[in-house]
Amino acid sequence: MNEHSIRKIVIVGGGTAGWMAAAAFARFLDNGYTRVTLVESEEIGTIGVGEATIPPLITFNGMLGINENEFVAATHGSFKLGIEFVNWGGIGERYFHPFGSHGHELHGIYFHQLYLRERKRRVLPDISAWSMSAVAAAHGKFARPGAEAGLPLSQMRYAFHFDATLYAKFLRNYAERGGITRIEGKAVDVSLRGEDGFVESITLADGRVISGDLFIDCSGFRGLLIEQALKTGYEEWTHWLPCNRAIAVPCRYEGQPDPFTRATAHPRGWQWRIPLQTRMGNGIVYSSAYMGDDEAQDLLLSNLEGEPLAEPRRLSFTTGRRLKAWNANVVSMGLSSGFIEPLESTSIHFVQSGIARLISLFPDKRFNPAERDEYNRQMQALFEDVRDFIILHYNATTRDDSDFWNYCRTMQIPDSLARKVELWKAKGRAFRENLELFNLPSWVAVTFGQHLVPDEYDPIADSLDDDKVAAAIEQMRQAYLQTTERLPTHGEFIARTAAAQNSAPPPLPEFVF
Amino acid sequence: MRDDAIRKVVIVGGGTAGWMAAAALVRIMGQIPTFTIELVESDEIGTVGVGEATIPQINLFNAMLGIDEHDFVRATNATYKLGIEFRDWTRIGHRYVHPFGFYGIDMMGVEFHHHWLKGRALGDETPLDIYSLSIAAGLQGKFEHPRPDQPNSPLSRIAYAFQFDATLYGRYLRALAEQQGVVRTEGRIVDVAQNGETGFIEAAVLQSGARIEGDLFIDCSGFRGLLIEQVLKAGFEDWSAWLPCDRALAVPCESSGDVQTLTRSTARPAGWQWRIPLQHRTGNGYVYSSAHLSDDEAAATLLANLDGAPLAEPRPLRFKAGHRKKAWVKNVVALGLAGGFLEPLESTSIHLVQTGIARLLTLFPTRHFDPFEIDRYNALTEREYVDIRDFLVLHYKATERDDTPFWDYCRTLEPPEGLAYKLDMFRRNGRVFREHEELFTETSWLSVMVGQGIEAGGYHPAADILPDAETLKRLAHIREVVADTAARLPAQAEFLRQHGSASGVSLKRAS
Repeated sequence: MNEHSIRKIVIVGGGTAGWMAAAAFARFLDNGYTRVTLVESEEIGTIGVGEATIPPLITFNGMLGINENEFVAATHGSFKLGIEFVNWGGIGERYFHPFGSHGHELHGIYFHQLYLRERKRRVLPDISAWSMSAVAAAHGKFARPGAEAGLPLSQMRYAFHFDATLYAKFLRNYAERGGITRIEGKAVDVSLRGEDGFVESITLADGRVISGDLFIDCSGFRGLLIEQALKTGYEEWTHWLPCNRAIAVPCRYEGQPDPFTRATAHPRGWQWRIPLQTRMGNGIVYSSAYMGDDEAQDLLLSNLEGEPLAEPRRLSFTTGRRLKAWNANVVSMGLSSGFIEPLESTSIHFVQSGIARLISLFPDKRFNPAERDEYNRQMQALFEDVRDFIILHYNATTRDDSDFWNYCRTMQIPDSLARKVELWKAKGRAFRENLELFNLPSWVAVTFGQHLVPDEYDPIADSLDDDKVAAAIEQMRQAYLQTTERLPTHGEFIARTAAAQNSAPPPLPEFVF
Repeated sequence: MRDDAIRKVVIVGGGTAGWMAAAALVRIMGQIPTFTIELVESDEIGTVGVGEATIPQINLFNAMLGIDEHDFVRATNATYKLGIEFRDWTRIGHRYVHPFGFYGIDMMGVEFHHHWLKGRALGDETPLDIYSLSIAAGLQGKFEHPRPDQPNSPLSRIAYAFQFDATLYGRYLRALAEQQGVVRTEGRIVDVAQNGETGFIEAAVLQSGARIEGDLFIDCSGFRGLLIEQVLKAGFEDWSAWLPCDRALAVPCESSGDVQTLTRSTARPAGWQWRIPLQHRTGNGYVYSSAHLSDDEAAATLLANLDGAPLAEPRPLRFKAGHRKKAWVKNVVALGLAGGFLEPLESTSIHLVQTGIARLLTLFPTRHFDPFEIDRYNALTEREYVDIRDFLVLHYKATERDDTPFWDYCRTLEPPEGLAYKLDMFRRNGRVFREHEELFTETSWLSVMVGQGIEAGGYHPAADILPDAETLKRLAHIREVVADTAARLPAQAEFLRQHGSASGVSLKRAS
């Protein structure tokens, strides 16, 4: 601690992003010095709908010391092994983007190269037959691979589906127990310091003024501090990702939840399906330039598996990113920092990455510009990387059944993506340059599923004996199937975690002297 | 097999005491082939069983009977209880809670309350109640089982009891006892046959003419003491000078939805009122002194102080504080109200039945009825009554109230010797001792003495092992941990739901 240390952090907005940040600060800034206040208004709804996540969330939960069974029970959560894409490469087609890799390398040669080579010799099943997560998902099976799990179960990766409102509530409980102060109130004004334009305080509707050293803007799309007060600017990506509307609605469903998210392409947009323990989260994402809101809503409602459980909620957004996620003494998190449609379930991941990066570059009151620039550079790279991967889903298609798909299929893609596609198309080569979130296994899944299969395999694969490769590939496939047979169903596993949670109650505070 | 073994026990009266005795005896002795139990009760005679509050020892009794807690809670509309809230006892407007369990945590081998007293001497004015998880959770209507796996959590050793419908508890025990072979005979006892020579009871004669013979008779006939007093003239030790209340009016009312996990006792101008929240309704009663208050006034006060609409007419009860001079005479053992009566200020009625049964089992006789063993039983029973009496008198005696002749009487009465000694010890240096395994622990004595405004003159010198600043810091830490823990516990309704023990009885007027 010194005179420059940040003493007061104010989080503006208490949706998923706000409470994730609050929970992380409760854990990492518990220094007896820094005070954290979160201001939220019950008047302002949060966007939280049925939410799908990706495996790094496990790291976030782990950092916070959250018991996973408790978390799943509290959020009515289910487990997720990947995403099933329906009608994306072409109408009537489906493929699975699993968490975790495909197959094993042989002598340092990537499995997908072996697969491509073998495919020249004979007809092979879809490459998802070589993914532990995909095979388990196809059978409705799930078990958490323990630290001691051997191959191939150890290749399984998973994430969660949960009710985002319950997740925020769960984190709120965690954060408040950790000493975060919550203030109920609606921020109506922001005061800037004359000398440097930093945010000095916010004013609530009832006149209370809340000052701070560091502000976290979790106010959602509008960006109360980052944009309305600091005029940071926004880079739009609508020309690559034209969808700008969503409608969300939960519905009833029967049976056990599937351990995967489903994204079904429609003629002018796509629909998500997120199975929770107690209901199904659904939503349609579309472009207002190609489809009216009422038409979209009718389409959504006609594609539900059960009776809707709430009024459909309409959302509008502009895909893109805040030019600086961190400007002056304001760090934007969640929707206030940018938005990319949830096709690959990245919304919560953006928040988590922002928090992790902020903690690793945590400022003091002098706000060193080098630290801020590094934060912004990293967040920009993440946003652009995810953007490119999402664009890939729209661009790599054979669909020509609507203006929407014709636009997407023929649009000019970003250079960064075009370069990767070229390299991949030639001999199936992909390089992880920037700690990309979606690396080789994801590229394999999406490109194989969307008609972007490399023309040739890497010649280095020819160094292996044909028959040995064929035998190894077949052995792997059998191992995935046999392992899957031994797994419990997803429903059984959820029941088991609920029971484990009841038998192992959460730890309580203790006297420590 | 001994040839002098008791072959048959006859239990006279089937209220809570009778069925507790039947269930316990059959559980322990029922496997002996020659041993039988018969319980005689008459449906004509009502039981006194009202909403009944208990103390944590009930768990031992239920465990001995192999009762599943959640099943029992569901069947008796029971609620959990973490202590008793006393309102207006010390002075009007004052309140404190006598918790089950303990305050804070003993530190450096010194009892917690000495650290607390030291904190007060250093200017930390926080009341003792703040340091008890039972109190924090009780006031917030929360409940959770103890967590022995976390020895440094205040929940580790929390103690709890129940509030239940005593009639349903009797029915529950009856089913249990009958399953194991206890014979129930319906009938009113009109005569008792004694052995001409020894005066031992040989049989109870029913109105129908049936003769129920037995070796050992357990008198659970209530206040009147059909066998122990009316036949055997055991005599009654009258304590009304110390505990002048001699009447009660009991009435159930609709639940207010206020779900504190505490029994409440509110002092009134000539006595006090109980409030026992059950799952489906709330039990209430006014215990008062007829020398200071008329029945009509008592009824008016009671009915004016209910949470919800009354569900029945108030039922009057008359009693005298004290106990049978001998609880066991010849071949008759008196349990429950037949053995004595102490007002339910500290929820001891069922406990006295339970300990009577436990003592009887420990000293279970043969047909020789050894007087030496019987004397032991009677001495222990008397000791227990005296200890509880002293603790009850403390509540009346240690008060600032001077607003009615009743309270003037109580405040100025000469305390029994044992109580006077305890008050003296505490007033010096906050010393609290538990004598001869008495029912109420140091925590209980401390709680009520502090609650009723008795000031300790100092604290244990060993509490200075901790430097002053450290004492204050630790006190603050304990307060925080207690409050934090209470905040995390589930509400009672949630706990009942989790364990499937909500009775699901809807609120309906009895009429």
